[in-house]
Amino acid sequence: MAMLLAVVGPGIITANVDNDAGGIYTYSLAGARFGYSLLWTMIPITIALVVVQEMAARMGAVTGKGLSDLIREQFGLRTTFLLMAALIVTNFGNIVAEFAGIASSVELFDAPRYVVVPLAAVVVWLVVVFGTYRSVEKVFLAASAFYVAYIVAGVLAKPDWYAALLGTVERPRSIVLTSHDYLYMVIGLVGTTIAPWMQFYLQASIVEKGISAKQYRASRLDVVIGCVFTDVVAWFIIVACAATLFAAHHHDIRDAADAAQALRPLAGEYAYLLFAAGLFNASLFAASILPISTAYTVCEGLGFEAGLDKRFGEAPVFYWLYTVLVVAGAGVLLLPNVPLVHVMVLSQVVNGIVLPVVLVFMLRLTNDRSLLGSHANSRIYNVIASATVLIVAVLTVLMLFTS
Amino acid sequence: MSVSVIAFTELLGARVRDADGRLIGQLRDGVVLPQEATARVAFLVVVGPEGERLIALGDVESCGGRLIRVAPGIRGETVALPEALFLKRDLLDQQVIDVHGRKVVRVNDIDLEARPTNGRTELSVLDVDVGARGALRRLGKGLLPRRTLRALLARVPTRAIPWHFVDLIEADPARRVKLKIAYEGLAKLHPADIADIIEDLPPAERESVFETIDEEIAAGALEELQPKIKVAVVQSLDSERAADIVEEMAPDAAADLLADLPAEDSGAILSEMAPEERQPITRLLEFGQKTAAGRMTTEFLALPVDATVRDGMESLRTFPGGFKSALVIYLLDRERELCGGVTLLKIATATPATPLRSLTATPMITCSTEAGDEEVAELFDKYNLLTLPVVDDHQRLVGIITADDVLSLLRHRG
Repeated sequence: MAMLLAVVGPGIITANVDNDAGGIYTYSLAGARFGYSLLWTMIPITIALVVVQEMAARMGAVTGKGLSDLIREQFGLRTTFLLMAALIVTNFGNIVAEFAGIASSVELFDAPRYVVVPLAAVVVWLVVVFGTYRSVEKVFLAASAFYVAYIVAGVLAKPDWYAALLGTVERPRSIVLTSHDYLYMVIGLVGTTIAPWMQFYLQASIVEKGISAKQYRASRLDVVIGCVFTDVVAWFIIVACAATLFAAHHHDIRDAADAAQALRPLAGEYAYLLFAAGLFNASLFAASILPISTAYTVCEGLGFEAGLDKRFGEAPVFYWLYTVLVVAGAGVLLLPNVPLVHVMVLSQVVNGIVLPVVLVFMLRLTNDRSLLGSHANSRIYNVIASATVLIVAVLTVLMLFTS
Repeated sequence: MSVSVIAFTELLGARVRDADGRLIGQLRDGVVLPQEATARVAFLVVVGPEGERLIALGDVESCGGRLIRVAPGIRGETVALPEALFLKRDLLDQQVIDVHGRKVVRVNDIDLEARPTNGRTELSVLDVDVGARGALRRLGKGLLPRRTLRALLARVPTRAIPWHFVDLIEADPARRVKLKIAYEGLAKLHPADIADIIEDLPPAERESVFETIDEEIAAGALEELQPKIKVAVVQSLDSERAADIVEEMAPDAAADLLADLPAEDSGAILSEMAPEERQPITRLLEFGQKTAAGRMTTEFLALPVDATVRDGMESLRTFPGGFKSALVIYLLDRERELCGGVTLLKIATATPATPLRSLTATPMITCSTEAGDEEVAELFDKYNLLTLPVVDDHQRLVGIITADDVLSLLRHRG
């Protein structure tokens, strides 16, 4: 137990950030459109998430190096450069989405985005630049706990528990699987749950926390708990929307804030408030992590000085990249007539290209015995991991072509 | 032809032909044998239809970006190489220590010096490129015409580290011995700089540095590491090696370190130490960590109360401890009670026959073994102290606290 407390954090935080503005929207939409009939995806998605995250955590603990370091050392400069450039594009899209989540959630409370968004950007910038890893991690863990709001909202929505549980374990009827819309939603759920940035972030925070190969067993538990909790939250979001929006034939929602709004007359004032506050928390949380994680990943992979313990003059690329991501990510929301949709689509497309590449690299790295020694993938694990990677990769590429 | 500089990545992939124009293969890597010469490239690794071949540099006639020409009839050997440094596999894209710039850097390219001698070409490593130039060259290679790329690169400032300022990092102990990697450049730096560099390395590489460098230097660097990394490093070493390093540390720093370790680890290290080194540390370990006694070192200079300046000079000459402990000579009476302290300045400016007692500073500032951090810091601040003697209930001198201890305790508290 003491062992677990010493290493807890990275796994839980990474998995929770995954339920960001985009994630909450996708889950809400899944519930609103298809009721309980998509809940079965949660179990395979959780397994896939655990398998992928476990590899990143293991590499971090055993090698003490970040994922972008390892990719650079094993696959060379050009590959790393292209990957990092793509990662900046897709992460930037995500950052914009987080600030959009902040803007739309505060607008539910009648707060003006022109005040709150810049304020949020400043808070994000300050927390990261002036916080130490330890203090920031505590703030993040507290933010993770706040996701319970969605579980409460799910209960308040008074779902049909029997139908929901049945939907979770029952095989989906083959008729729905042939429906294009339904399939597209399945792909969306996978795509929003497993993202490239998470692998880089998780591995880097395992290294930063100084978790060693000896502590790895406890760290793996941290990863599993994080993934399970995250998907339980996702389950409740789907259930909440299924019990209310789907039941009331309110099938179309524009974004996560719209979902909260639609819940108001159906699930009551409290469920609405929890949904709105939860969205704000999730967006701010993810907006704090994505820019700094991107700056670290890119600088380490390309060999620029990186780290908050360095002065601006010592690590200019690092600080500039970080600052530009925060300022531009928030700034886009304040400009009138910015084609947000295009930014998002581009980000999704690049995400779809980057994810399979990253997953394949991770598979190759975790099979390298000169790198991981006895911690390299076992044969059985490889079968599971390869299957997961293959399915996720195929689904993301499919999403690319259907969108 | 004169001496020229060629970028290694520009050579990679070049066709290798013999003097008759027969294609042998393409360049895949370069090999340096550090046991023989630290910079000279001994072999080229060429991959052709028959797989990988090694060509000795003595058979190379000329070396250009697109073509490497070797002597007639040379086909390369398929011998297995002993432990060697492969430039592409082991150096390119890897992290190395820039001894001159005192940091860890990543290698973007390697500049080779090509020197024509007697119809052959010798290649040796000149420097490693860690800047944008090397990166751009590799990104642009094959995408931009050679001439455009070269013109472009000429405008990019160079950031290269001369080869003799580069320390390679190798986690595998066997390879480290065979490649003669001893972190010699690193070991010459200030302990605080060594510590900064070590903090930037992954754990296995940290361990390798502490296994390799001289114990005294390792001890100095270890003292400067962040507490968490310090503990992790010591735990990664075997207890014998850890004990060798801890023996070289000042007793107070050693006690602080051991107090942070799990009991079984600190016990294992203590049992490996010589009794005379162990004793002062175990005594310090008995005190609470946050009291004056926990912060103090038992390394100090004390003389009988009737000693003269000459005795003082003599004791300084033979004092084995560090200079921080020798800033003040303390005077003790027969019961080892503290009677006063004389600063180095007073000793240096007085005649040899002067009794030390006449030079003591008044009033004598001391603190008890139980004094807290706050009180200690206040005394240093109020009286502008460099050292503070710690006395027990009977006014007997048991240790001293030095100003740098106070600085670090203030910094780690805030």
